[in-house]
Amino acid sequence: MPQATPVVEGLFTDTANGPRLTGSRCAGCDMPYLPVSALCHNPDCDAPDLQPAEFGPWGVIWSLARQDYPPPAPVKFDEPYQAYAMAVVDLDDGLRVLGRVATDDPESVDVGQRVELIIDTLAHDEDGKELSTWKFRVVEQGAGA
Amino acid sequence: MRDVAVIGLGMHPWGKFKDKSVGDLCRVAVDQALADAGVAWREIEGVAAASSRFSGGRGWGLNGNDVVDDLGNTGVPVYNLSAGCAAGGNAFNVGWSMVASGIHDVMLVVGGEKMPKGFIQTSGVEEVTDPEYLRQVCVGMPGPAFWGAMCRRRMAKHGTTEEQLARIAVKAHANSVHNKWARFRKEFTLEQVLGSAMVSYPLRLFEICPVSDGAAAVVICSADIARANSRRPVWVAGSAVATARFDDGIPRGLAGPVPAHGEAYHSEAALAVEKAMAMAGVNPPEVDFMELQDNTVFYELSFPEEWGFCKPGEAEGLMEAGETTPTGSMPINPSGGFQSFGEATTAQGIWQVCELVTQLRGDGGGRQVPGAGVGLAQALGLGGNGSAVVMRSEL
Repeated sequence: MPQATPVVEGLFTDTANGPRLTGSRCAGCDMPYLPVSALCHNPDCDAPDLQPAEFGPWGVIWSLARQDYPPPAPVKFDEPYQAYAMAVVDLDDGLRVLGRVATDDPESVDVGQRVELIIDTLAHDEDGKELSTWKFRVVEQGAGA
Repeated sequence: MRDVAVIGLGMHPWGKFKDKSVGDLCRVAVDQALADAGVAWREIEGVAAASSRFSGGRGWGLNGNDVVDDLGNTGVPVYNLSAGCAAGGNAFNVGWSMVASGIHDVMLVVGGEKMPKGFIQTSGVEEVTDPEYLRQVCVGMPGPAFWGAMCRRRMAKHGTTEEQLARIAVKAHANSVHNKWARFRKEFTLEQVLGSAMVSYPLRLFEICPVSDGAAAVVICSADIARANSRRPVWVAGSAVATARFDDGIPRGLAGPVPAHGEAYHSEAALAVEKAMAMAGVNPPEVDFMELQDNTVFYELSFPEEWGFCKPGEAEGLMEAGETTPTGSMPINPSGGFQSFGEATTAQGIWQVCELVTQLRGDGGGRQVPGAGVGLAQALGLGGNGSAVVMRSEL
């Protein structure tokens, strides 16, 4: 992959084992956080500290949406606009996270499909520089809701 | 706690009014509410107002101060309430609280808004510390796509069809024809709704509320004053606000925990509704109609189920059987709803109270719920804010 700039720093990384989201997890109640959180916000937990944590790559599509019209700023996309799919994914490690779905066929994406976290091009900025973000790639058809 | 009545309502019709200021809209609503109540401006002891992000308020959400300046500075205390799109509902709750607790006897509750063009975007804070900003920059999920994702989940779970979604919009607009305050007072056919542009599959343009300008106001007072002075009081049986539960499972920012307790959606709305109904001492079968926040048709299916008005998966069938029309067994949004008004965000919670009062007075005309005695209204807003009110025609 060519050198790309993360659209926002600190949310994902490419490890030796592949892409991961980078957040925190509570040492007390195991609650996952993305982005990194300094404190646990679970009202039933009074653990003092959070540990750095990586999330992914496997999960299941809880639901999804299709962006059928070009969205306004600050959403980023390249011209000419192409409708994209985004999913709400329940990662196997307990994080429910949003992400675009990397596909040329948004209509093929569905609830219950198994997905893998990837790092992919989001768009290019005014200077032509590539901006990257995390996305999901469908790896297996699912069984619905 | 004292009993509290609404004794006057006023509204500026919803629409787009480029030659009017938000102050102009509020003045129309307030003047009507005072006249309807038979109360002079000088008799108002407190003002609870919805704070707007979009118009008026001098950049500080001082929308109540704008109203007081316009009506004439009497030294009246002003409470400006910010709760995103639930601000009107929250302002009503604060006004009710102060009259119920005896701090003030007569109060004005008001909200007005002139909205910028297009769907509402983000929180307006362009910083990576803002979860809404992160969601847009990293993923790109505007409001309609968020609603689309909620709706897709329902389709997968309950088999909801695009035609069923469209029928809800047809029902909403059939009601709006009878509401002089609504912006879109026009019937739509199923074909017209299904033929409107796809915004975020499965939601089409005519199934999503646009933004509007509008203003609404009510005068509320203690029971003693209402009985002595008002011809047509309507009673507040329960009023509540709430915020979202920590792990309710809605993707509000970028991420959260997979909820431990199964499917749950807008916990802030459910909590407020539960509290208001408990305070009123009513269960779903005793509620004659509800005004719920239908930013999109999806909510007419999900909210009644979340609040215990029907079982999960039943809402489509009830809607198709006509039970959600004003003459059905579970009337939803006889006003025409947000789909017919468009959203003047911070005025919505007060406009809903106006519809409850109109229905409970029996003034609904062609959209009247026959024999309406108990009504429920619910709003929600950014930040996980929810509000609800239950009103009765008789104490």
